[in-house]
Amino acid sequence: MNVIEIHNLTKSYGKARGIIDVSFDVEEGEIFGFIGPNGAGKSTTIRTLLSLIRPTSGSATIFGKDCVAEAPAIAREIGYLPSEVFYYDKMKVIDLLRYSASFYGKDCTKRIKELAEYMDLDLKRRIDDLSYGNRKKVGIVQGLLHEPKLIILDEPTGGLDPLMQQKFFELLRQENAKGATILLSSHVLDEVQRLCSRVAIIKEGRIIKLEKMSDLTRDNYKKVSVECDATADARFVIDGVSSVERKDGTVTFLFKGDVNVMVRRLAEVQVKNLWIEEPTLEEIFLHYYQKEA
Amino acid sequence: MNVFLQELRTQRKSTLIWTLSLAAFGSLYILFFGAIKNDIQVFEDVLKNFPPVAQAALGFVLGALRTVTGFYAFAFNYVVLCGAVQAANLGVGAIGREIGGSTADFLLTKPVARWNILAQKALAVLALLVSTNVVVLAVTLPAAAAQGPDFDVAQFVALSATLFFVQVVFAALGLLYGIVARKIKSVVAVSLPGVFAFFVVGMLGSIIGEDTIRYFTPFKWFDTAYILKNSAYETTFCLLAVAVAVAAVAASFVALAKKDVQAL
Repeated sequence: MNVIEIHNLTKSYGKARGIIDVSFDVEEGEIFGFIGPNGAGKSTTIRTLLSLIRPTSGSATIFGKDCVAEAPAIAREIGYLPSEVFYYDKMKVIDLLRYSASFYGKDCTKRIKELAEYMDLDLKRRIDDLSYGNRKKVGIVQGLLHEPKLIILDEPTGGLDPLMQQKFFELLRQENAKGATILLSSHVLDEVQRLCSRVAIIKEGRIIKLEKMSDLTRDNYKKVSVECDATADARFVIDGVSSVERKDGTVTFLFKGDVNVMVRRLAEVQVKNLWIEEPTLEEIFLHYYQKEA
Repeated sequence: MNVFLQELRTQRKSTLIWTLSLAAFGSLYILFFGAIKNDIQVFEDVLKNFPPVAQAALGFVLGALRTVTGFYAFAFNYVVLCGAVQAANLGVGAIGREIGGSTADFLLTKPVARWNILAQKALAVLALLVSTNVVVLAVTLPAAAAQGPDFDVAQFVALSATLFFVQVVFAALGLLYGIVARKIKSVVAVSLPGVFAFFVVGMLGSIIGEDTIRYFTPFKWFDTAYILKNSAYETTFCLLAVAVAVAAVAASFVALAKKDVQAL
């Protein structure tokens, strides 16, 4: 069963681009990744799903209900964590969380305590006294306190230290294991890779790729930079190498294929320095973009 | 109900300050009447020497100064001006504060319809305005009644009630503006110039003696001289006030339903 179904969703802002013809489904119980650089349309898509923005055309359903017409009923089962959280500055954390809970008509006191303890959040402090990271924690507790069936996260980890990120991801895995479906938007590929079973890639307002994480990692690219004698460059130009660039005695290229083959090639030359990295999302995009053109 | 209560909680402190200030200003001015009522002739003579333009601009109703209500009517112009700022703050802030401060992301993703949020907010603003008016009247009425035996209660109440009417109009206009404006960073920066603009329009109308201008500023819909004379209001302007308030609130519901709430 699909929890989210998006059909040809379009949002335009006069001349400025919003999203164009976005379609994808999110199945019940999966963790779905939604990736793209800043400004690609991730937030616009998510805000349309949440009915913060009205679509220009197309439609979307969540739990089989229209996301505009039945927004309040849908919202009951959604937990949302935006990339930037904003709350009422003068409120205490606990009052904000109680106010949030009051919308769901159930007692969330115990759950608030548990989550706050787990995320190491002081409930008695005022919102405007909190650091960016601590506000984010308020957002996490706020988004999960009513045990939603669908969790929507829009670049959630900004501001959280690595330890908290890990705890947060663990929390998400637990919620997922309990049956919650998760839509995670991010521009940090690594974050998505660790959690998600399927991903949609959005670029300039359009979905350009929709596939299983296992497939995406299988044809994952490595970015290789080698500092070596200029005459040795040619040795690396084998099948699967693209985007070759030379600069200041360093040759950089993208490689897709059996890593062992490349390692053997590298062993044949005198290497001064070597970097093998995950390419940035932008680099993968660039690749898809070139392939399409 | 929770949004209603939350709005009351948020605005509690500022409403208290506004209310006490208005009540204090009004009643102190009334007590001032007690001090000079025996020399009121001198006071009137001084004012008569003011150029007519200044008289009109300041809003004195000459000849009415002998009664406490007539005397209060002058200061009351400024009570209404301040009250209008208070009301505009409440109106603009109700939704404008949520959108401007991006807390709309929180509020509008809760399982409650937008019209419901707006209805609760509007009712909270109304409740706050009612409480302000009740307190101001509860303080100024006894102060005025204590000034002499010939006090006309109906006249005083009729005059005082116009504070509420003008406030409702400004709150309704503010409510609409708070929704249609892009993002309001500071509520006061919107409400203060807005209200003052209407006040100045009214003042100009009085100075040039142009009656048509009265239609364009809520400050002139409830004419002090008319109320002092009749203890009643002019029907046309009452209808105008109701029409503007109702239209602004109705438009607010439509505008909020269509509003796109953008990220920062």
